[in-house]
This record gives sequence, structure tokens and C-alpha cells, in this order.
Amino acid sequence: MRGTAARAVLLAAVAAALLALPLWTSSYWTRIATGALMWAGLACSWNIVGGYAGYVNFGHAAFFGVGAYSTAILMGYDHEWPFFLTLPVGLAVAAALAAAIGAPTLRLRGAYFAIATWAFAEVLFELATLLDVTGGTGGLSLPPLLDERFFYYTMLAAAAGTYALAYVLLERARFGYRLKALRDNEVAAETMGIDTTRVKVQAFALSAALAALFGSIYAYWVTFIDPPSVMGGDLTDQMVVMVLLGGLGHPWGPALGAAALYLVNRFFWATWGDTAAYIALLGIAIGAVVLFLPDGLVSLGSGRRRRGALRALIGKLW
Amino acid sequence: MDLFLQTAINGLLIGGVFAAFSLGFQLAFGVLHVVDFAVGGWVMLGGYAGYWGSTLLGVDPFLLLPATFALFAATGYLLGPLVYRVRATRYARPALMTLAFTFGLFLVMRGGALTFWGFDTRAVSTVASGENIRIGPVVVPLLRLIAFLFAAALALGLFAVLYRTRLGLAIRATAQSREYAGLMGVDVKRLSALVYALYTGLTGVAGVLMAAIYSVTPETGLRYTLFAFFVAVLAGLGSVGGVLAAALFLGVLEAMVAVYVGSSYSHLVVFGTLYLVLLLSPQGILRRGAIAES
Repeated sequence: MRGTAARAVLLAAVAAALLALPLWTSSYWTRIATGALMWAGLACSWNIVGGYAGYVNFGHAAFFGVGAYSTAILMGYDHEWPFFLTLPVGLAVAAALAAAIGAPTLRLRGAYFAIATWAFAEVLFELATLLDVTGGTGGLSLPPLLDERFFYYTMLAAAAGTYALAYVLLERARFGYRLKALRDNEVAAETMGIDTTRVKVQAFALSAALAALFGSIYAYWVTFIDPPSVMGGDLTDQMVVMVLLGGLGHPWGPALGAAALYLVNRFFWATWGDTAAYIALLGIAIGAVVLFLPDGLVSLGSGRRRRGALRALIGKLW
Repeated sequence: MDLFLQTAINGLLIGGVFAAFSLGFQLAFGVLHVVDFAVGGWVMLGGYAGYWGSTLLGVDPFLLLPATFALFAATGYLLGPLVYRVRATRYARPALMTLAFTFGLFLVMRGGALTFWGFDTRAVSTVASGENIRIGPVVVPLLRLIAFLFAAALALGLFAVLYRTRLGLAIRATAQSREYAGLMGVDVKRLSALVYALYTGLTGVAGVLMAAIYSVTPETGLRYTLFAFFVAVLAGLGSVGGVLAAALFLGVLEAMVAVYVGSSYSHLVVFGTLYLVLLLSPQGILRRGAIAES
């Protein structure tokens, strides 16, 4: 019981801090916090398939792009929809697309699935550069809205909703048990009567829809999108690294990884004005995590032995 | 018709170089069960090795090929055990962890190249650059022909090692079963490092050839990873035999699309074909590949 109460207090404190953040920080830091929230949500959406189902999706940026383009096209001069009406459209398009390609693609396992999702995302990327409706390589502009707090709270609501939904569905519902069962042994899960294909496609569609949600908000936030900025492979790279760093298949580990990496990214950007060295750093982070910390940063905080080791270390330092 | 012939020749010649770096990739998968995302990174670094070798030493990059092979093989020999360690651990999903690890390796290569050498395109010039041979209506660029011949020699050398030496016997035995090969006295760890060295060496040399034909930037790596995956998937992952046909097919496909449809569509067609082949026939067109494990 003590653990539950402590956790509730901690959760309330985090929520209060996040809600009050724009009131006491500059708009620069509000922007950075907005970005961190977006990446935390994206990492969580990737984690649903990558961490819980055990399928490494190397093309997740495609769904982020689908959301971004849905909002950009509908809010553009031809349609002039209000922003919040475009959100369900982006969600639905991404979910439908994921469901359509999910059934055949999720038959592939391991590296085959990774390669197939990458190829699919690149096909969408190339289409976005060639089609007229997406503005080609020239990109699309959206009606600007210069209200940092609006975007901060929208992003906060989306991220909090994503984590709450993922927690309830994956840690507290049968759906999550089915996913974990098929991750650990797909044949055994099938034998136990789980319709693995259906569960996988559902998880894939959910993960895609959540990524599209952040894509929509992002498009309105930055007011200009083009294929590299919303569909580029770099976006997927970052999500994968964030989840690996935070903790693969952990309910809130991805948020930790996302916040840490996004701050480093902004630091590189602010210091050197480019992020070439950051790419190398991402690679080193993956290598280090895979070799030394396969369960991610969250594994540092749990487990009596590790905690003991940490305390001993801190004791020595003091 | 002349244009068609010309395009086919260009595509076939470049396809030979694709085969050179895909062979090593297939070998690494067959023996180590490692899908190396960094394959394009090795090709890209090979290009830079050719560039810096010829710029700093003033020697033709073709003469530096043996040195390039030695350099890359040595690097691979040192790095191989690390990759093998990730693949052979008791992690929950070693295959995915290895994929992530080589992906990290690729990011280090790309980010490192961007940091040290910037976005500039570097051209590697050789004795054969700009020279042509006319055969009837077709013009054969000498550079591509020489690159093709080098690639063919490498492939033949690899096959000779695989099928004519005791080392090759050990490699093929290990590809069939690590456990039984180990029981028969094969030092599987050392052999894995050797295979990885062979793969990086081959890929680095192919990188010099690619850079001589196309020039090199840090961003080219991803394209070659795609090509290696394409060839590997078409041939069937781990199958060495189908590589040549698949690589030549890719070369011709890319050249035809570039000439008849437009070069901006070439990625679309290559990725689209890759995706469809994966869905329809994941063990390769010839159904020779391994079943993926997770």
C-alpha cells in the first residue's frame, strides 16, 4: 500500500509540475518542453509494437507523416478546416493504412519485418515528394498560430492521453497480456487460443494512430512541413533510440529516454548549430545500451541488487 | 534500341559491383545470423578510404585496393567479436538486439563522416575516369568495366575460398550448424571474426569502386544498405548463389527506371519492389533463404 501511495504522490507532483510549467518558464523552454512531450508520446507509440509485441518497426515515421499531411492538407487554403476536426481524420487514415498493410506485413518476423516497414515508409516518403496533393519537395504551409501555450497544453494532453491509454491497455487489460504472450512465444500464444494476427494488427493500428496524432499537432505547431521533416528516416531512428535507451517494453521508460535524448539534441543544436555529431552520439548510445544496459535506463532504478550497488557507489563518493 | 542496349549494359556493369558488397553481406548473415544494417556504412567508408588514399598519397585508388581490403578486414576482425557477442548473448531477443546494434554502428559511421568531412561530395578519380570503349552502337565506360571486372574477380575469389579451401569448408559447415561445426573442431568464435573481416574487406573495396563511379558523400550509405537488403531479399537471406542474378537485376532495374521513367522514381520503384517481394515471397524469389528468427 505504501508503494501505491508514494506512486500516487509522485504522479500528482509530476502532473502539477507539467501543468504549471509554461507559467514560470520562458517561451524558449516552453517550446523545448513541447518538443520533449511530442517525442515522449512518439516513443510510447513505437513501444507498443516494438517493445510489447516484439516487432521492430523501422518505418514508424510514415504514420507521423500521414498525420502531419492530413492536417496540413485539410487546414490548407483549399479546405480551411478547423484544427481539431483534422485530428480524427489523421488518426483514422493512419489506423486504416496500418490495418491494411499490417495483416500481410506482420506475417514477417525479425529482420524481415524491419526491412519491410522501412521499405514501406520509404515508398510513402517518395510518394510524398512526387504527388501534387502533398506539395512535393516544396512542402506545405499551414495557417500560423503563434501561441506557445496552446501547443504546449495540446501536446501535454496528447502525451498524457497516450501514456494513460498505453498503460491501461497494455498493463491492465487482456490485450496487453496477449501481446506480451505472442512476443515471448508466438506459437505458444497461438496454441493458447490467441488470434495472434488480429492482436498484432490491432497493436499496429493503435501505434500508427497515436503517431499520426502527434504528426497532426506537430504540423500545426511548426506551420511548414515537407517530406524530410515529417517522414524522414531520422525520425524513426530517434524513436528507436529513445525507446531502447529508456527501456524496451516498459510503460514509462520511453518517456525517460525521449526527454533525455531530446534535451541532448537541443543542446547540440544550440551549441554547434548542427546535429551531425548528434547522429554519431545516437549510434554510440545504441551500442552502449545494447552492450551494457539491455533493459534501458529504467533498469537502473529497479531491482534490489542494482539499487544496493548504486547506494554503495554513492556512499563511496560521499 | 541503342538507348535500351546502352542502359542495359550500364545497369549490368553496375550490378556487378552491387553483387560484390551483397556477397559479403549474405555471408555474414549465413554464418553469423547477423543482418548488418551498417553494410552501406562500410561502402561509404570504403569510398572515403579511396578518396583520402588517392588524395594524400597521390596513388591511383585501383592500386590501393589491396591496402583498402586489408584495412577494412582488420577493422572487421576487431569489431566482429563484439557483434558476435551481442548475437550470442542470452538477451530476450538477440536477433533484434543485433539489428539495433549494427544500426547504431551505422549511425556512428554516418554521424562521424558528417562531423569530420561535412556534406561535400568527393569525387574519386582514377586512370580510367572519363575513358570509353566503343563497341558498335554502344559506348562502354571503361571505369564501369574495370569496376565490374574487379567485382567479378572478388566474387570468384570468394567462391574459391568457400568451395576450394579448408577454411571455406569450415565456413560452410558453420553456416549449416554452429553446434556441430564446433563439435567437429571448428573454432566458431574465431571463424565468425574471420567471416566478418572477409565481409567488411569485400564491402570496403566495393565502396572504392562505387565512389569511383558515382562519388561519395556521408549520405550515400543508406542507399547501399537498401541495395544490399534488396539483393539479399531477392536472393533469399543467407543464400550466396542467387546474389549475382539479383544484383544484376537490381542494376538493370535501376538504370531502366532512371532512363525511361525518371531518376526521381528510382527509389520508389526499388523500395516498392522490395516491399512486394518481402510480402509475396519472403524466402526470396528462388525460395532459398533462411526463415527469420526473432
